[in-house]
Amino acid sequence: MKKVLVVDDSLSVARQLEKILAESGDFTCVGHAKNGAEAIKMNHTENPDIICMDMNMPGMDGLTALRTLSVMDKEVKVVMVTSLGGVGDKFTEALKLGAKNVISKPFEAGDVLRILREL
Amino acid sequence: MAVKFFGQFLIGQGIVSSEALLKAIDLQDKNNLKFGEMAVAMGLVTPAEIRRAHNAQMSKDMKLGDLLVEMGFLTAAQMDDVFIRQKSTHLYIGEALVQAGALTDEELRKQLDAFKADQAEYVSDGIELPITTADNHIWEMTADLTYKMITRVLDLRFRPDKCTLATVIPHNFMLAAMDLSGDVEVRYLISVSEGLQKSIARVILGEASVDDEPAEVLEDTVMEFVNVVCGNVAAKASQTGVIININPPVTLHPPASGLPIPDGHRALSFPIHIEDGDTMEMILLIKG
Repeated sequence: MKKVLVVDDSLSVARQLEKILAESGDFTCVGHAKNGAEAIKMNHTENPDIICMDMNMPGMDGLTALRTLSVMDKEVKVVMVTSLGGVGDKFTEALKLGAKNVISKPFEAGDVLRILREL
Repeated sequence: MAVKFFGQFLIGQGIVSSEALLKAIDLQDKNNLKFGEMAVAMGLVTPAEIRRAHNAQMSKDMKLGDLLVEMGFLTAAQMDDVFIRQKSTHLYIGEALVQAGALTDEELRKQLDAFKADQAEYVSDGIELPITTADNHIWEMTADLTYKMITRVLDLRFRPDKCTLATVIPHNFMLAAMDLSGDVEVRYLISVSEGLQKSIARVILGEASVDDEPAEVLEDTVMEFVNVVCGNVAAKASQTGVIININPPVTLHPPASGLPIPDGHRALSFPIHIEDGDTMEMILLIKG
């Protein structure tokens, strides 16, 4: 079972993602970080296979954290989950920084799981 | 289910890889010159004049072309020539993918049709506003996307009421707000009753009952709805070249007398009558 770290300042999005992961049978949620800085710390302590990360968060945002993670940890696969997914510049910046994919909010469980299973 | 740009749609459908998209974007970056670069390439201004104009931009809120005209480096007709050249030589992402060998012309046409069909529900229907500003199309699109997200995300049936200029932000159980910056400066607010907050929470959390949920979680669901709407507004605006940055949402609890409209702002109120008799209100607090 693959370990997933959820990074989002929204409690409700974290709940939505945790539920999708728990019901999938393929993934287990190993933690919830509320900003980029927490994500970097928890990536070290929880050693996830995948990180699902928001872009727009208070403190360290998702793209800044992605920049750091892609240097610090070449193994972890990061998927951005964001309401800004449809903004072309943000989407391409995320890919350039090493994100494996970008999921737009609002998302559906099937789309999230399909993308995570493709990693 | 969300507003997308064409490259994202193609990756989502498995038509092109992210590597191919990045290659196509690289081609775009090399081909699509910015205004100053194009003006220099056309021999109308020098790089030194562009640098002077960029320095002047730090203290003047003007677009580069307008500033170059004001500083006497370009005539208005030359500025128009630069815009025309930019438009006529612009390489679109689909064309760049064909050039990169990731799509054929025929596949591009087919996928553009599929993309238009996918995004058809986000085409604006047009909304009447009581004010006239250069950004009216943004406010109309924001209201329109809010209505569409109420249907798509919250699964609520409703009737939008006429937009009016508000003199106060009325009291309600809670407000969720997000500041939008960039080419526009506006605060987006959604005002809901306690009952409506619970309806939103039930849908967002996917739970039959939210009676035992802490207030923090219930408020968060309304903020997340605001985040989704504003992110999609930013995406839709970016398709027309308008840059909108979003900031983390916040909650407000107005007193019984409501919240005053800050000096130098106008408030557009969009009442939304929900089927069960409740009322939600969307407010745009526009600077200027």
